[in-house]
Amino acid sequence: MKKYIVKRLLHLIPILLGITLLSFGLMRLTNDDAVDVFYDKNGAVSEEVKAARRAELGLDKPFLVQYGSWLGGIVTGDMGKSYISGRPVLESIMTKLPATVELMLVSILMTLVFALPLGIISAVMKGSAVDRVIRFLSFVGNSMPNFFVALLLIYFLAVKLHLLPVMGSSADWRSVLMPAMTLAVSMGAKYTRQIRAVVLEELGKDYVAGARSRGVSEAVILVKSVLKSSLVTLVTLLALSVGSLLGGAAIVETIFMWDGVGKLAVEAILSRDYPLIQTYVVWMAFIFVMVNLLADILYHFLDPRVRLGRGDG
Amino acid sequence: MMNSKKAAVLAALALGGAVLLAGCGGGEKQQASKEKVFTYGTTAYSASNENAGTNPHNSYVGWTTIRYGIGETLFRFKDNLELEPWLAKDYQQIDDNTVKINLKDNITFSNGKKVTGEAVKACLEALIKNHDRAPGDLKIESITAEGQSVTIKSKEKTPALLNYLSDPYGCIIDVEAGEKDRIVVGTGPYVAVSVTDNEIVLKKNDKYWGAVKPKLDKIVVKGILDGDTLTMALQNGEIDAAQGLPYASHELFNDTAKFTKSQANTSRVFEIDFNFKTPELQDVKVRKAISMAIDKEGFTKVLLKGNGAPAVGPYPDSMTFGGKAVTASAYDLEGAKALLKEAGYQDTDGDGYVDKNGKNLELRYLSYPSRQELPLLAESAQASLKKIGVKLNVNVTDNYKSFRKNGEYDMFANAFVTAPTGDPEYYLSTHYLTGASYNYGFYSNPTMDALGRELHNAFGAEARAKLAIRMEQLALDDCAYIYASHLRMSLIMKKGIKGLTAHPSDYYEITSELDKE
Amino acid sequence: MGRYRGLFPYALAAGLIILLAVFAPYLAPMDPYAQDLSLALRPPDSVNLLGTDRYGRDVLSRVIVGSQITICSSLLLLVATTVFGSVVGALCGLRGGRLDTIVMRLSDVFLAFPEMVFAIAAASVIGGGIAGAAMALILISWPKYARLARGLVLTIRSMPYLEAARMSGSSDREILFDHVLGNIAGPILVTAALNLGTIIMELAGLSFLGLGAMPPAAEWGAMMSNGRSMIQTAPWVILAPGMAIFVSVAVFNMLGDKLRDVFDPK
Repeated sequence: MKKYIVKRLLHLIPILLGITLLSFGLMRLTNDDAVDVFYDKNGAVSEEVKAARRAELGLDKPFLVQYGSWLGGIVTGDMGKSYISGRPVLESIMTKLPATVELMLVSILMTLVFALPLGIISAVMKGSAVDRVIRFLSFVGNSMPNFFVALLLIYFLAVKLHLLPVMGSSADWRSVLMPAMTLAVSMGAKYTRQIRAVVLEELGKDYVAGARSRGVSEAVILVKSVLKSSLVTLVTLLALSVGSLLGGAAIVETIFMWDGVGKLAVEAILSRDYPLIQTYVVWMAFIFVMVNLLADILYHFLDPRVRLGRGDG
Repeated sequence: MMNSKKAAVLAALALGGAVLLAGCGGGEKQQASKEKVFTYGTTAYSASNENAGTNPHNSYVGWTTIRYGIGETLFRFKDNLELEPWLAKDYQQIDDNTVKINLKDNITFSNGKKVTGEAVKACLEALIKNHDRAPGDLKIESITAEGQSVTIKSKEKTPALLNYLSDPYGCIIDVEAGEKDRIVVGTGPYVAVSVTDNEIVLKKNDKYWGAVKPKLDKIVVKGILDGDTLTMALQNGEIDAAQGLPYASHELFNDTAKFTKSQANTSRVFEIDFNFKTPELQDVKVRKAISMAIDKEGFTKVLLKGNGAPAVGPYPDSMTFGGKAVTASAYDLEGAKALLKEAGYQDTDGDGYVDKNGKNLELRYLSYPSRQELPLLAESAQASLKKIGVKLNVNVTDNYKSFRKNGEYDMFANAFVTAPTGDPEYYLSTHYLTGASYNYGFYSNPTMDALGRELHNAFGAEARAKLAIRMEQLALDDCAYIYASHLRMSLIMKKGIKGLTAHPSDYYEITSELDKE
Repeated sequence: MGRYRGLFPYALAAGLIILLAVFAPYLAPMDPYAQDLSLALRPPDSVNLLGTDRYGRDVLSRVIVGSQITICSSLLLLVATTVFGSVVGALCGLRGGRLDTIVMRLSDVFLAFPEMVFAIAAASVIGGGIAGAAMALILISWPKYARLARGLVLTIRSMPYLEAARMSGSSDREILFDHVLGNIAGPILVTAALNLGTIIMELAGLSFLGLGAMPPAAEWGAMMSNGRSMIQTAPWVILAPGMAIFVSVAVFNMLGDKLRDVFDPK
């Protein structure tokens, strides 16, 4: 076990280097001049002021030198300063991260609350009208882009029915519900289908038939045996969902004014705030990688059948 | 079998409930209070607008300081954008390069400290030391303080000095108190208590010097960049008033029993610059034809839903050197077609676009989407010009600066506040003169440059207005710019909100007049 | 061929959508770009079946023409990604060695990014409208196909017919095109078909954020984003393209499901 974890951690190093290099290179693809962007809003500033600022930001140095000093900064926890606000980008991202994590956790919770029972019911009642309705709904949820879901939720829940507030706000706990629901719709749809498939597969196995013949009740079989083994699938699913949640958060947070990193990133993109975008991309990739690593380890732990080296994807 | 299935279903449901309960450990917060709280939503406050914070000595943060009643300037603009004293009592122009400003005697910062000549001197010195644009505008050589007066000596003639001092960056703050947690000490009716990139919380300044005392206990200013969220927040009553609502939502607030509107025509103009480096556009007839094909009326009435005024020149009609003093050619499609024909453009191949020497008249139109009006103008211009056979390739992008830098445009549409200081020189000198910093069309006319020099050295509002009008008319006759419309800014609030008025300068929003019933 | 029967209705629906997309300009009842401000924001009626937008353009015609932009660019993007990814992956599988190591490590790096996070950042940097957005999506999604193709090639690499081809002196290129690609096409096609719906949504999502199609292009995501402020006053402007996205994604998803059932029965 220890050996496995160490191996996975070592494997991580080239990936993290690759992530940083790719993120950094990506931002240099643009021929936009950040200093022009910085000053060119309303007031005129002389070229000398701009040149001084460029030198201050190190923008006049060659690519690899800039990358090297940036990477050095990352290691020491200094990821540069925002071109726009002038404040350290890491600090900006860290102050917004809790809101995004909250949003993700609530939407995962909502997903489980809906998908677990629906998936199981759908599997247990396979072929019935209930199963068909559930499958249809999960299909619908899976085919709607999240921005469309967001607009529909806003229209019905906030505008028509006045049930929920529109704006993200720390003062009102209900404000997390609509953005979380938006993310949970497509995720829940996916999970329902997957859970149904896993439960069906497990229900068809010999041990279930054996238990049934011994007169063990269906509910006990479900909770004790089937669920336990579906847990493995769930862990993998959840880890992968983190990626789509982080991406979806950018759109959903922007629509609902949820004050998290996704909204911060979209704003940074609009104002061409490279250090912030870079740090955002690197951090999101980092989180994604770490979550998947954790899931692999957990997977390993939950299901001893998985052979070493299985999760190298 | 069926029964045990039912049991299984029940178990599944119970499981869902259990997950829900396990996750909902968090409690609810509810705060009740009898204090008067005003919540204000605005699209204007954000880090990307470079005005997050309260320290006016940083980029555009001064707009925040002044808009939300934290700071005040020495002079302020009246509704016609002429100056009147604010923290200042009066001033004397000692010579071309020297002005003495006398301060009112009863002004204190929110920390109780008196605003003296020395304090103003310290603030202005910090301003020119720290701010990026102020030193170039003010051209200050030295400042001396004596009792309740400051004397400013300029490096060169700066006729618009007092106007520049009334820019939001000129808010007078107590520099000795410094900046803590992004909060500075000003003289305004409200005091910031917490500042983030999206929200400012203010409380009443109990020591406010003005005759009208602030009436609200607490104000929350929320930066809400998304127009639709803002709309629904106002509808749901989550905010008391909103600035920057999308035009399409204005009609939702027409019910005067529930909402009040306050509107003001601003000097923010939507303009299109012709690129004089484009060979086809070097012919004044082509530029004129295009100018005549822009439907300013339709753009303003339909697309902006009447929230604007069709523009003639760069300044709004309300100003002495504004739209009423100049003329531009009217919307006339037939006339435009005739002009194109005179210039040698006709549709010979029947593809719907006019051509000359076998080449269609096809132009690249560059603009950006961060002002909601500009994409509308782009699409409207594209459709209008198609009617006279000119093909516009529209490129509306946040990335516009790199296209502009590379000269990849024949027309560039943008929004610009033409009279932020109430004086005409700022806009004219940055747009009309050869090589000027915002002269993106590379327009150049020696007569114009001479007039510009004359304006730079002219004192007296009347003389400056006269020169400005001549320059504007010359630019319009040269068809260097198309002025589509002036923005009418709107504040929409719940019934019962008093004293919140839109101001043509776009500087003053929350004042001591603000009250909530 | 009984197992193909369930496929037919979905294939038909998907075919119809693609036909609609290809011939959209001939099918639109009105000019989707002709403005008439006097007709702005009309609710649906017998002339404009889905109403008009704020420029007085016919929404139905825009939705129809929009299918061309949205569906065709998604298809092109999918084909580009699939072909590029599979060829690279298959080559890696065949050749092994340094090429394989480098490409696989590179794909590790790409796969480490959350897809939309990378696409949003890349699209904003690349710029250039819908083509830039498509580029961004290709950039992030090719490794999926490369890995899939590589895995498939590894399973067939030691098959007798490949050995035989190699013995007879065929070059890698000939082996790749004559023997390998045909044999791994099935599972790749299924994956691609299942992916199409997601790609349509992602591309529309980028346009919705303003990182895709440019005005006046009638692209569904862009139409929704431009109409957002009218959700209360003129909901048809948003609902029409929204439903169009939903229906086409649903059809392609169902088709993908059925294809998987046919080719990959569990």
